[in-house]
Amino acid sequence: MDRRKMLALLGMSPTLVAGSPAYARTAPKRVSEVSSSNDAGEGLITVMNPAIAAKLATRVPLAPPLATLDGKTIYFVNLAWEGPDAANYIFDAMKEWFDKHYTGVKTMVKVTAEGMFGGDPAIAKEILASKADAAIVGVAG
Amino acid sequence: MECKIPAIGIASSNIVHYATDYVFKYQNGMPIRYVSVPFPYAGQPQAVDVGYVSGKDMLTGRPFMTAVVDALTGPLTPEEKISGAPPEEAVEPRLLPADTEDNLRVLFDNKEWTDFNSIILPTEKRVMAMLKGTSHKPDEVVKTINITGGGRQLTVEKVAINAVMAGASPEHLPVILALATQTPFGNSTSSMANMVVINGPIRNKLKFNCGTNALGPYNRSNAVVGRAFTLMSKTGGDLRNNVNAWETLGNTMQYNNNCYGENEEGLPDGWQPLHVQMGFKPTDNVISVGVGWSSIASVGASQHIYPTHHLMRDYLSSFCASGSAATIVIDPSVAELLENVYGFKTKDQLSEWFSQNVTKVNASYWGNGVIQSTAVPFALAGLEPYASWRKLPDDAVIKPFTNPRAIKVVVAGGKVQSMWFVTDFRFGRGVSIDDWA
Repeated sequence: MDRRKMLALLGMSPTLVAGSPAYARTAPKRVSEVSSSNDAGEGLITVMNPAIAAKLATRVPLAPPLATLDGKTIYFVNLAWEGPDAANYIFDAMKEWFDKHYTGVKTMVKVTAEGMFGGDPAIAKEILASKADAAIVGVAG
Repeated sequence: MECKIPAIGIASSNIVHYATDYVFKYQNGMPIRYVSVPFPYAGQPQAVDVGYVSGKDMLTGRPFMTAVVDALTGPLTPEEKISGAPPEEAVEPRLLPADTEDNLRVLFDNKEWTDFNSIILPTEKRVMAMLKGTSHKPDEVVKTINITGGGRQLTVEKVAINAVMAGASPEHLPVILALATQTPFGNSTSSMANMVVINGPIRNKLKFNCGTNALGPYNRSNAVVGRAFTLMSKTGGDLRNNVNAWETLGNTMQYNNNCYGENEEGLPDGWQPLHVQMGFKPTDNVISVGVGWSSIASVGASQHIYPTHHLMRDYLSSFCASGSAATIVIDPSVAELLENVYGFKTKDQLSEWFSQNVTKVNASYWGNGVIQSTAVPFALAGLEPYASWRKLPDDAVIKPFTNPRAIKVVVAGGKVQSMWFVTDFRFGRGVSIDDWA
């Protein structure tokens, strides 16, 4: 390979190798047109971070699980996502399955008063008062 | 209220990973056990939903009801017993590691900090120059964004970073800071969008386009302010595709958020600018943000054979009327027509007329998913007119825009054609730009 061509491929001017710094140029590097913080190093720039630190949520442990479902009362809390009737078939089918497979499981379906955007303290009160054993909340979608 | 009983969640497959990951991490801190049905479940025939229950859990692949029982009875893992503050704190450095311009552009796109159009990289020099546009201190918190959890504090400096990225100038910063108080933009599986309207003398000072092509890509102020809303929403809200931004179709309006100035000079006598209707003085500079989904154009010029407002009424009847809200954007020529020919001496009179004359078939009203989610709770709580409407037969005719004050009229355009848009955007109260100077 021609020596001049080889040096050009390396990004070097032949005059640099020849030892004439006054005329030596390295191959043009991509220098940022917008560089302002050149203290980062030639061709590198430093920019500010648009991202914002987030607080992770405080951890809340789960309640202890049930040892068995036999004889338990389970509340189905219908969030009314897409309306109070949207999940009816799912809750009905689940109730039917429990009736068939678990003796004595009692299921109660409650629809949240404020729909999917609010809670329902009345349901929580009822769950506590009735000493229900578990809750299945849904259906989010 | 704590019940201290085991509770599991059921979510459909489109959203369950959001619940188990992002919501857990940033909102409730509870490693709730979920079981998942296929999406969609709502609106399906009974046999389909029943099939979901006898089918597989979309999270684990096990039989659905087996997964339910296991979720209620399976022993807690060590992870599920953790309580208290999380061990690690998320940290974001003020400066990013130095890199080439090309690599930084790739980084910004990969992090989804952009709208995937080229941005102006926010060097410190640029951001400091931008901050000269306001007297507010860089570390002042403009808004704590918590809609997806995380409590992210959007400071003046962060807003300035986004303003640089959007291509704005320092004189735009007070406008963008006021807009920042309304972040983030609409984010819903239903594919929402926003409309941003500027009122007051600042429109002329910063040369916002209120005339021909007001809602089009023909003006720098309209472009950069609208774009800044997108960028602030994405960076400030950490909105990322399929992580916590779940708009199933998305909405192209989110590139610019319909940002324009009201053509106050083109208002007929007696028609007040939007911000004056909200209680501001005419000389106040105000930015107002609406949220909605849709826009229907008149397409053609107003016709004498069918009154303009009648056609607007007809098009409005196709909207869901959520919150009784609508915004009609009309060319000044149409405003003049409505005032001179049809006698609407004020915007309020026109809004009132729509409220009284837009009708909808009852089944069509309740057949909308947003109405099911938002208005049904009102009906169940006995609130009128929703409670009565819900008892009416499907073919009953109702007037769904019950609140004329929620129907806004904004004048924009250049009198090149007598046309208009009807939209379902709902406006909250405007925000003072002057407060952010």
